[in-house]
Amino acid sequence: MLRRLAPAATAVALLLTGCTTPGPGPDAPARNSAPVTDPAEDDLLKTAQLTLVTRCLARQGLALPTRTHSTEDPRLQSALFGTGPSELSLTLPTGATVTAHTDGCLADALHTLYGDQRRWFHAQVTVNNLRALAADRMKTDPAHRAAMARWTDCAATRPRGTLPDRVPPAVADRCAVQSGLMDVRARLEPAELARVRAERRDQLTTYQQLRTRALRRASALIGAQPAITIQPKGTEGT
Amino acid sequence: MTLKHSLAGAAAALLLATGGLALAPPAGAADCPSGHFCTWENANFDGQRANWSGDDGWWESWIADEDSSWANHGVSGPGVKDHVKVFSRAHQGGHMTICLAPGQEVGYNGAANDNGDSHTWAMSC
Repeated sequence: MLRRLAPAATAVALLLTGCTTPGPGPDAPARNSAPVTDPAEDDLLKTAQLTLVTRCLARQGLALPTRTHSTEDPRLQSALFGTGPSELSLTLPTGATVTAHTDGCLADALHTLYGDQRRWFHAQVTVNNLRALAADRMKTDPAHRAAMARWTDCAATRPRGTLPDRVPPAVADRCAVQSGLMDVRARLEPAELARVRAERRDQLTTYQQLRTRALRRASALIGAQPAITIQPKGTEGT
Repeated sequence: MTLKHSLAGAAAALLLATGGLALAPPAGAADCPSGHFCTWENANFDGQRANWSGDDGWWESWIADEDSSWANHGVSGPGVKDHVKVFSRAHQGGHMTICLAPGQEVGYNGAANDNGDSHTWAMSC
């Protein structure tokens, strides 16, 4: 991934010199699945995020990793991702407790773009894991259970020498087709996804609202690049 | 290592070290190189760590289905796949168990640790 930073920097430079258009308005639909986001919008947000992070690091005499800077540098890690206990936390219905920091250059950038890092964190973590939640719920469906049992039988037949818990990807994929598991999932997922989306409608709305705000911010930031003045850390976006 | 084992181990270690104070949270962001996705065999970013800057469709056996905590320390930029999707394969026949944006970490999963078998970086979840 780090290798991608060089082209990314070039892309930033290109974007910074050109015009950027803001994305569609707050009513951008997100009904059918986990939100399908516009790649151009994603890029605008990521460009703005990279710009803010780079500036924040520069103020501390740091830079994003390059071939000459170790990615293991603990100073860089702390400056980017924060220190102390993580302040943000959300336990998903699937059992995972997702956490993040409110300090560090990444948190600063998110706060600047989205206006409220805490609200954004809750909405983003929820929305980003709707599909995982739907997949988790599907497992209790009788058709899914039956297909899963067939998959397990299928996967038990595999080359000598493989460990009991180690199903090679090719075997897992073949068995997913043969057992009908893939078909069952494809059949169950739309309804399950619609259910979890309906249950989390408030978070989906917040997600869209904050993303729209961030797109406006990003446009202003990138468009007005030379005139932007850096505020002291912690006062941005308030 | 299962979560139960890991927590019991951590608790025992802490009891030895402190004489019985409550479990302390990690001192900072998880120790995971910038630009990498990391997973640990124990909860709370403890024990042996695996880390990747790219995708891995089949984790090595020591960490596959042994993963108990995770961190996405990816760095965003235009055109950069900065989200990480973790998939279970051996036990579920392959579905996404979690998707993490940069800076997001999971110290433990009460329901589904020791489950991961592969991951991919993606533009979004």
